Amino acid sequence: MTTSSATLDRLFSAAQSDTGIDRQALAGLLVELARSADESIDARASGIASTDPRLTQLRGLLLGQEIATLSRLTRQFDDPAELAAIVGRVLPTALAQAWAQNKSLGPILAPMVEEATRSSIRRDPGTLINILHPLMGPAIGKSIGERIDGTFQSLNETLKHSLSWHGLMWRWEAWRTGTSFAAIVLKHTLIYRVEHVFLIHRHTGLLIAHVAAPDAVSQDPQLVSSMLVAIQDFIRDSFSGAEQGVDTVRLGELRLWSEPGPFASLAVVIRGNPPENLHQTLAGVVTRINAEHHDALRDFNGDSAAFANVEAALMECVELQQRAPRSTPHRARWAVALLALALIGLFGRWEYQRWQERRHWNAYVAQLRAEPGIVVAETGTQDGKWSVSGLRDPLAVDPQTVLRRTSLDPSQIVSRWTSYQSLEPAFVLRRLIDTMKPPPTVSMVLQGNRIVALGSASEAWLRRAHATTEALPTGTPPIDFSAVEDIDTGMLGKLRAAIQSNQILFDNNSPAPSQENNAILDKVAGEIHDLAALASTLGVTARVMLTGHTDSKGSEIFNLSISQGRAESVRALLKKRGVDPSLLAVRAAGPYEPEQNEDSDAARSRNRRVTFTVEID
Amino acid sequence: MTGTQPNLQKKICMLGSFGVGKTSLVRRFVESVFSETYLTTVGVKIDKKIVALGDRTMTLILWDVAGEDDISPLKMSYVRGAAGYVLVADGTRQPTLDVALSIRQRIEAEYGALPFVLLLNKSDLREQWQIAPQTLEELPSKGCTARLSSARTGEGVEQAFRDLALAISR
Repeated sequence: MTTSSATLDRLFSAAQSDTGIDRQALAGLLVELARSADESIDARASGIASTDPRLTQLRGLLLGQEIATLSRLTRQFDDPAELAAIVGRVLPTALAQAWAQNKSLGPILAPMVEEATRSSIRRDPGTLINILHPLMGPAIGKSIGERIDGTFQSLNETLKHSLSWHGLMWRWEAWRTGTSFAAIVLKHTLIYRVEHVFLIHRHTGLLIAHVAAPDAVSQDPQLVSSMLVAIQDFIRDSFSGAEQGVDTVRLGELRLWSEPGPFASLAVVIRGNPPENLHQTLAGVVTRINAEHHDALRDFNGDSAAFANVEAALMECVELQQRAPRSTPHRARWAVALLALALIGLFGRWEYQRWQERRHWNAYVAQLRAEPGIVVAETGTQDGKWSVSGLRDPLAVDPQTVLRRTSLDPSQIVSRWTSYQSLEPAFVLRRLIDTMKPPPTVSMVLQGNRIVALGSASEAWLRRAHATTEALPTGTPPIDFSAVEDIDTGMLGKLRAAIQSNQILFDNNSPAPSQENNAILDKVAGEIHDLAALASTLGVTARVMLTGHTDSKGSEIFNLSISQGRAESVRALLKKRGVDPSLLAVRAAGPYEPEQNEDSDAARSRNRRVTFTVEID
Repeated sequence: MTGTQPNLQKKICMLGSFGVGKTSLVRRFVESVFSETYLTTVGVKIDKKIVALGDRTMTLILWDVAGEDDISPLKMSYVRGAAGYVLVADGTRQPTLDVALSIRQRIEAEYGALPFVLLLNKSDLREQWQIAPQTLEELPSKGCTARLSSARTGEGVEQAFRDLALAISR
């Protein structure tokens, strides 16, 4: 190899564009190379020209391909778009390999994912909601469903027992303990016991663990577990919409509840009537087991040795139970029974009294209704008392009188009566008797709906009676006076006629009757006596008017005076003969009521007289 | 309280045409608690077979799936999670072998390759035997070996379960 230092110098003089290359080092390297071929070369890497086309040529020869590749890579690295495209191609593979080699990628990515999620939610919560909806929807629905089932269960049991004897006792217990009635009802009715708990691997249906209550028996749990999964599969395959599988199966008093988890599910056999909120407890257990044994469950291959400690969690479920409350001790029960009997007795007695009272009350009201002149408008109870109101004719029987005949307590009765006038014939009759005051010779009676007056009465009374009846209101029963005879006919009439036929004659100017009148006076006295007795018997008042008369001779004053004297002397003479003077009235007629025309002395002597007039009232 | 002792369990499916004798195999050689009416109602019956493998045992949980016929195809969902399966064909009926092989294809399509054994049942009925020796010779090229079994004589059954358990535990 022959190389002169001039050649090297030319070689070392790099082109202007060769900036960035350590020319000094390159020159040194080439000199070392030349020396290894010829030791005589004593060139120094100094004075290298700033540009040398030969170096460029050499470099092109030696590194042409690499330079092209390098410049392409440099370009790609410098262009963000191209760099992104390259990284994008390898990123999935790179992540997969990084994950496979080292699990620490998860924690590294977690904050970024969290931040990304946060910012996504801030920007538009709808996106995340849409993503989570298929997952959360059924879970929330199930949870709400269970809560509603629980509420309905509580409501059902409460309603069922609200009116029973148990219900009353439980109300007492709720009041005594300050708990809600619904809670007490559930405590007494939801008697249950968890008998078996199977933890089942969802994918294979294999049993991971099984725990049973002390005396609970079942078939081989491994077979039962798989059969349960098979039945779930069967239902899922058979019915559309059953993707969730069954979560409750009921067979008599046994219930099978299934609580699914992501890898392992819980199948729980419960005897009795469990509360709906037991679902939540079981769901909590299955969630905890799935979380605590996440990896072991995911990789489960049929070896349950890794799950020995899971039984503790299952035991929690088996210990879930609600025992029937201890029954009341015998003595207390007897006391309760006696108390109940006493209460029933008291209640029965009270109810009997109430019944009796009601019976008496009804009888009283019926009697009032039957009474004429009483109209019962309303009956009822008021402030614990019986009340009756209506119309009452003042002539009707006093309701208090009727009440006294019953065994009702008058203080327990409130009565309100409004007065009215009844047109009942009996009342009309009584009113007529009150207003007409019929003489004892007249009796007024009811004949059917008619009022009939019987007996005899004076004409004056009959006139008054007719006037009274004409003033009565419409609707009054007919009143018949046709049967009343004139009182003047009959014995009284005869006596009157006899008394009135008598005359006592007087001498001229004499106020006293002559002796020959004594027989007439005796007779008249006897007749008036009879009249008084008869009138007394008939209940009428009979009075005798003694009218004194004179003849027309003499002065008027003298004549009036002497006629007064004649009447009074006859009165005195009759009194002397035993006649009650109160029956006798006197009147002076003077000469004004002559019996005869005074054309003779005989006629004049006939006019000097005292006459008798009988007045019957 | 009763707890389960640590134990290796595997889910195994018994598959084949209707009437090939799966249930007879199971009835004679496994622990069974459920009535056979489950097969006609739910379409599956669970039984258990404990196989000794050296110093430990493996519990095979056998899903005796109702036999496939023209009107009721195999419910593939019952195969989910199985560690292996037993294909049963009836040596006296050639079509049942075709069905068994078709079932295998379907399982591999849906769940991937799983250990299995193929039993040609009713080996005691020699005079009615239909499957030609040539057919059996061709089977290894299809990736399986058939073995004869008889639920009546017990031939091959125990061995089949043990072989399957070994294949699974490998």
